[in-house]
Amino acid sequence: MNRRRRTKILIQGSPSLAKEMAAEVIQKYQVSEILAPQYGLTMVKMRETAKNSLFYIGEVLITEAKVEIKGEIGIGLVVGMKDDLAQHLAVIDAAYQVNLPISLKWDEKLMKLEKKLLVDQAKEQAEIFKTKVQFHTMDV
Amino acid sequence: MGYVAVKGGTEAIEASINRLQYERLQGGKIIEVENILATMKALVDQVMSESSLYAPYLAALAIKQAGGSMEEAVFLMRAHRSTLPRLYYSETVETEAMFTKRRISASFKDIPGGQLLGATTDYTHRLLDFNLLDEDSDENEKWLLDYKDQLSKIEQGRQPEFFPKVVDYLREEGLFKTYEKDEKVPFDITKQSIQFPAPRSAKLQTLTRGQTGAVTALGYASLRGYGQVHPTVGEVRVGNVPIYVGHPYEDMDIEENHYYIGEMEVTEVESFVPVKVKNEENEDEMEFEIGYGVCYGQNETKAIAMSILDQCLEHPGSPFPTHDEEFVLLHIDSVEATGFISHLKLPHYVTFQSKLDSVRQVRNGGASQ
Repeated sequence: MNRRRRTKILIQGSPSLAKEMAAEVIQKYQVSEILAPQYGLTMVKMRETAKNSLFYIGEVLITEAKVEIKGEIGIGLVVGMKDDLAQHLAVIDAAYQVNLPISLKWDEKLMKLEKKLLVDQAKEQAEIFKTKVQFHTMDV
Repeated sequence: MGYVAVKGGTEAIEASINRLQYERLQGGKIIEVENILATMKALVDQVMSESSLYAPYLAALAIKQAGGSMEEAVFLMRAHRSTLPRLYYSETVETEAMFTKRRISASFKDIPGGQLLGATTDYTHRLLDFNLLDEDSDENEKWLLDYKDQLSKIEQGRQPEFFPKVVDYLREEGLFKTYEKDEKVPFDITKQSIQFPAPRSAKLQTLTRGQTGAVTALGYASLRGYGQVHPTVGEVRVGNVPIYVGHPYEDMDIEENHYYIGEMEVTEVESFVPVKVKNEENEDEMEFEIGYGVCYGQNETKAIAMSILDQCLEHPGSPFPTHDEEFVLLHIDSVEATGFISHLKLPHYVTFQSKLDSVRQVRNGGASQ
């Protein structure tokens, strides 16, 4: 599973899943910390819809961590102050970079969670749809 | 006469800081950061927007430390921001990917996807609710359970829907000009001083982090006649947009390699403004342009006012101050404006003494001449 998709599932899902997956790797492989979780900023670039140009809306606080497995670097990035999650994401990222056999097993689990997350979002949206306006044209 | 360094007041300053602490603590109550986060969303949103730092937890802490003072909270956030390294730049955030929680149009009754009111105070009575004086957490819990129970019966799809922009339909009809995607790297006002005439990206960055009151006041001034923009709001949307970051050592153009890092809530506004243009026969014709506004969190008044000012600044030929980019952009920043105004209360003994001397000299000298 590609990084874009898996990081979305892991961040939107429960942090306990990332913790479990990282623990599986740490149990079996040598994981070296390159960068302990640190706070920093990401400047957010946006497209405005009047003239279709780019501008910076501002910065967002993130936590970053880096680890190494078998010479490959894994990076964990997440919005907010989430040291553990950033660390776990870094371990998982490194596991995918090295193509550890364990990472192949994860895809099925992640796809299942992805489906659940979409259903949860659809449910939340359906709740918001309760506030959709039903207009009635008046006879005057 | 220049400034002269003076000493003294150290003990008084220490005592003053203790007094400030005493006033914060003397009520015997502690407000938790989590309480501010859970109950003061609008305030947290405003602080994040004006400080240009999306960090709800830190904004709530700043509000606590500042004792509720907006200008102080924004100052604290800006100061904290300056201590943090900028690690990444995001990929372009496109608001078509927004998980929409509120979406309304003042221009059309029927918009594809419908009008979603979401959570808003727009339709509430502005009467003080004295029931909140005796709010009970058990009753609140019961209300939440009942509410969730009602919602559990709602039919739902398997995937969330994403809403197209209202303006897209008008563009398809040829009523609005279409612009190709402009990929020019934006100007960054946090890295370079703004120069005039400012690029569009610098104007938008300055407007979006402007003080809510200042942006609203100038937008209002334009509507009242000190400007030439009176728009109809085409679309207001509030929701969460995803943020992606490219890998620092891999090809950033390969989307699949990007990191999803989370999301942020924004309010986005497109205002429709009728303008006169010359057609091919050099005759006057009406056309629509778009004023654009966006800010962190849910702050619709600010985003609408920003869309008015954006449109004003796109027409600098008008004689009104709201169309003058230097006037607008250099006076709406919270830290700059409150900092400069409040510095007036700091010691100016020498400056004022020299003014007094001048007045005395003029009076005495004037009599002798």
